[in-house]
Amino acid sequence: MLLVVTYSRAARRDLRNVCRAHEDCVVRQFGRAALFSGTEFGAFQALRLHEKHRLDVQIEHVEPFEPTDVPKHVREAAKRYEAREEPATPYERFASGRDLPEPDQLRGVDL
Amino acid sequence: MKLRVAGTTYTGAVVDLRTRNVGGRTIAASIRGQRRFPVVSCPEPPAVYAYVGHVHPSMGLRTRTALAAAARSRGYETPQDDAIADRRAQLAELEPPPPELPDPVDPVPESTIDGLQEAVATHRGRLTARQAVGADDEAARAALRDAATELSERETRRTAARETRELRRERARAYRDTLEKQRRLADELANLRRRARATLVDRCTETFAQAIEAVPGPVPDSPLDADPVPAALGVLRVARTPAPVVLETDRFRSPTAASDCLDAPVVRC
Repeated sequence: MLLVVTYSRAARRDLRNVCRAHEDCVVRQFGRAALFSGTEFGAFQALRLHEKHRLDVQIEHVEPFEPTDVPKHVREAAKRYEAREEPATPYERFASGRDLPEPDQLRGVDL
Repeated sequence: MKLRVAGTTYTGAVVDLRTRNVGGRTIAASIRGQRRFPVVSCPEPPAVYAYVGHVHPSMGLRTRTALAAAARSRGYETPQDDAIADRRAQLAELEPPPPELPDPVDPVPESTIDGLQEAVATHRGRLTARQAVGADDEAARAALRDAATELSERETRRTAARETRELRRERARAYRDTLEKQRRLADELANLRRRARATLVDRCTETFAQAIEAVPGPVPDSPLDADPVPAALGVLRVARTPAPVVLETDRFRSPTAASDCLDAPVVRC
């Protein structure tokens, strides 16, 4: 899919118009962004906006995501942290002393 | 004031142009310095004139905004002023021209590279085989060399394409970060100005109510919701009015009466 983000009022207005006129290629619309279908038509609409508004329109490729797409230790960390008994404990403190990755360790690794 | 309309010069605090064929809107624009003709020489009008510098029956008025401007004309300040000046200065510095991006380069498909790597391996195998049996290896050598050259060229192009892509993304991101910052600052500024306006309006509401009672005509129930003409006249009584006010209303007995009531130079159109 394509994520289309607008950075000016005019671009935002045109994005809204495209979304209204071409619902079939819009998967989801947010305030000043929208998710277009990953089709040539979706790309065509996204590129039209980009042609008109240049860098005020950002287009990104978006891939579907499933939790199983990330390594097990990351999923495990999220699961156990969200099940913590002390809601005020920051993750860093929660992880230390447990068999969990430190936040900096996670930050340094690309998916 | 001194005002020149089609060959006639008018001077004094009150000028009556009702017999002249000149629109109030034109005169008001001249007073605000937005037109050069007719020539008007007068003190610089404060910002409030943008709202109430020309009073006429078909006018609209954002009374609160105008009243806040009137308060400003009297030099009133608000606790938000420093923050407003700060955000304005920051915004003025953040006027980034869109960056120059290198032209996009078509990516070199991985399959092309893979194919070429395979070809190089094949040619190398062939060459080794020929050398093992002592056969003539000139053609095999040349084929390997060509394939290797082609592969190296494509790899160089792939690297260049990647670098261009990275550069384009980096510059676009930096620019959009600035746009985001701009948006945040503009939002903050709008909020601060709303709060400042509320402060100014609060401070002037009482004065404004008295002012609107003092202008001729029925007294409205709620001053801030009064019709545009009485509201504008009320705002003018609150404001400091060094420059002429253009009036196209029959509320006053005479232009002089209007000038006295508003404590302002008046051009009656």
